[in-house]
Amino acid sequence: MRVLWNELKKILTWKMLILLIFINSVLYFLLIEFDIKHFPNGSHSYSYEMGIEMIEKYGTTMDDDEFIDFKRTYAHQVEDATQYLQSREEFVEEGLDTYEKFLAYDWWNASEEIYALRSNVFFEEKVELFWELQERERLLKFYEMKDVVPDVLSKKKKQRLEELIAQEKFGIYPEVVMMNFKTFIANVGIAILFSVVLVISPAILKDRSRQLVAIQYTTKKGRNLFKTKILAGIIATFIVITALLAVYFSLYSLNNTSMYFDVRVNTFIANESWFDPTFFQFILLCIAGIYIIGLVLGLLSMAFSTLVPNMVSLIGIQIPFVVGFLIIGLYPLLPEMISIWHPKWLSMISYCAMIIIVIIFTAILWKREKKLDIL
Amino acid sequence: MRIFINECKKALTSPILITLLIVFSAFNIFIIVSSSDHKEELKIVNEIIDKYGREITDDSLKQFEKDIQSDLLGLTEITGKQFESIYDFLDGLRFEEQEQYSDRDWEFFNSLQLKEMYFGMANSIDASYAEIDVQDGARGDLKGYGISGKAAETYLRENEEFAERFNEMVDNEEHKEWFFAGKPYFMHSFLFKTVFLHITIESLLLIVLMTALITTYEFENRTQLLTYSTHRGRKLMKDKLAASLAVSTVISLFLFTITLGTYFFLFDYSHVWKTSISSAFNWENPFPYVTWWDLSVGEFLVAVVVLVFIIQLLFSGLTFALAVIVKNSYTTFFLVAALFILAWLLPTFMPKSSNLFIVTSYTLSTLTMAVSQSFMGSSGLILFKNFEWMTISCWTIITIVFCTITYKRFRKMDIQ
Repeated sequence: MRVLWNELKKILTWKMLILLIFINSVLYFLLIEFDIKHFPNGSHSYSYEMGIEMIEKYGTTMDDDEFIDFKRTYAHQVEDATQYLQSREEFVEEGLDTYEKFLAYDWWNASEEIYALRSNVFFEEKVELFWELQERERLLKFYEMKDVVPDVLSKKKKQRLEELIAQEKFGIYPEVVMMNFKTFIANVGIAILFSVVLVISPAILKDRSRQLVAIQYTTKKGRNLFKTKILAGIIATFIVITALLAVYFSLYSLNNTSMYFDVRVNTFIANESWFDPTFFQFILLCIAGIYIIGLVLGLLSMAFSTLVPNMVSLIGIQIPFVVGFLIIGLYPLLPEMISIWHPKWLSMISYCAMIIIVIIFTAILWKREKKLDIL
Repeated sequence: MRIFINECKKALTSPILITLLIVFSAFNIFIIVSSSDHKEELKIVNEIIDKYGREITDDSLKQFEKDIQSDLLGLTEITGKQFESIYDFLDGLRFEEQEQYSDRDWEFFNSLQLKEMYFGMANSIDASYAEIDVQDGARGDLKGYGISGKAAETYLRENEEFAERFNEMVDNEEHKEWFFAGKPYFMHSFLFKTVFLHITIESLLLIVLMTALITTYEFENRTQLLTYSTHRGRKLMKDKLAASLAVSTVISLFLFTITLGTYFFLFDYSHVWKTSISSAFNWENPFPYVTWWDLSVGEFLVAVVVLVFIIQLLFSGLTFALAVIVKNSYTTFFLVAALFILAWLLPTFMPKSSNLFIVTSYTLSTLTMAVSQSFMGSSGLILFKNFEWMTISCWTIITIVFCTITYKRFRKMDIQ
């Protein structure tokens, strides 16, 4: 136990922790800050508010009756908008005295003065009503298209979409929260991945480059120390991931998305998935994904750490692996892991394969370590 | 000299450098080959330049139009119908009819279509450039980025100067020269952004790693007590710096040769070297690319390569200085990486109303990341005419001072 504790202390040194904090703050400003600071961004704030209103009024699913009510609210707001337009002389003069006319107007070919009126409503006066109406129209359009299955899809995808329609799970809740979470979690994944590699990589090489191994292996514990080192590395990975997740998710809580937690992922717009967890369960799934990816990469780093001759090669050899994983693996395995756009079992199989490969790799290394000549 | 060569050997013979050089070269070649589908289509520009000259004049355009008319007659012969333009024919073409025509016919259709596209673009140059108002665009930028106060004043002043240069450029007709059409092919951003950024970042990774390796070698291999007590002693650091710079040169030369070699092997630039980089065809974004000086494509390429090269040597020097302090290659690498990003983000931490906002963008990182728009006045917030040489000279001074200080400090340091 004491050996394990000391090995752990060797990995998580003060210097390393300071470097970790420095690197993470840089990565935070580079990758994550935007999704926290600018959420909801611009006109997305209306979608965000609309979603909350829908959840409060209709719950996490909407049936046809509730949709009739939604349309009724829309009709009320259209009346309000008409009244607003009639109260403004400039609009009446141009013949835009009802909202329907305002909506049907050919804005693309409008003269500059008329277009200025529209900009005035949307950007200078920022009349919320008009923004809200736009959002409602968008949602209504999605509702009308809920039964359409695109022809170009593969058979299985079509089947899944039809299944969802049969269960009356259509994407009608505004997707801003989901999109924001997906970019957030992908970037958190990148930051954590780099952090794990940074902290764990030198673990085993350090002793070797100080030529400590020869002394260590002649003690009573002997070569079993290698197993303790690996265990210490796993524990350190776990600590780093947990600490960073705690920090990043407390920052995420500033986005205030808890109202959406009970909405099922398939009822967000354009977010068809193979499985149907709630938003909160999806967050948990992503967290589990990050733990697995982190542990796999931590073990891989330790494996490289036992093989390479010096620190520079240790970094060099990991560059293609880490960058390759970021390019190919990160999105399908993290934010899109249950998305219908990837094969159903792709993420599950990849996770299992990664775990198995890494475990076998470590086992081989342990066997090698047992027989290795100590020079 | 022998010491210098042996220091170089430490880096150049390390298997990881060789492996990564091969992996990176293969990756670059893959990137270039996988986006070279349109390389045949680009050859039409060479044909046009051969036939009508590099510069677009009224006479040559008339000649071009005549030739297109005669090609349209050829189209009538093939199809038996009369068309105003190849687009009328292609739009009206039904799916079943496509198979009626032989491959040779299709070749003819495609080349005619391209010719008409280039002709249309060349014809509309004057009109599109008349619409551009540099000052108005600058005010739009300020609003978009939310810049005010002193920074806005500086920005507008520089734009005033750029507006003059822009008018001068239009008067000189630098923009009336043939080049690959920008909006369909994005050749400028592909070469100077995608390909160059790959080369730069890959070689920076290797350079930082190798500089850190050479500089901290004695400490990491526990030979410092021996080497630094020899006759050569602490002056060895000078050899290490020289070796780092030499290795950096070798690395970037290798990557540049392989990658650009592949690029120019696949894409035929032979006719457009002398075309101005500010050509109206080199127009990909809302604003065309316009340089501060009259540079041709070839000159621009050479200038950018030299720029990247200097940047890499400076990074090698900075890494050396940092490694002398840190004495640990692992930490050095991550610190350099983090500082690179930090310098790049620096302007975003500054108040948007003060000149600091503009001054802090004069960093090597910004220069590296925006290399495709260097020497240009159309590059948004870093349009300044002095941006490149100012950044380079400032950072050269910083690097030299930093290296000298750390070297002096190292000479008096206790070594354990």
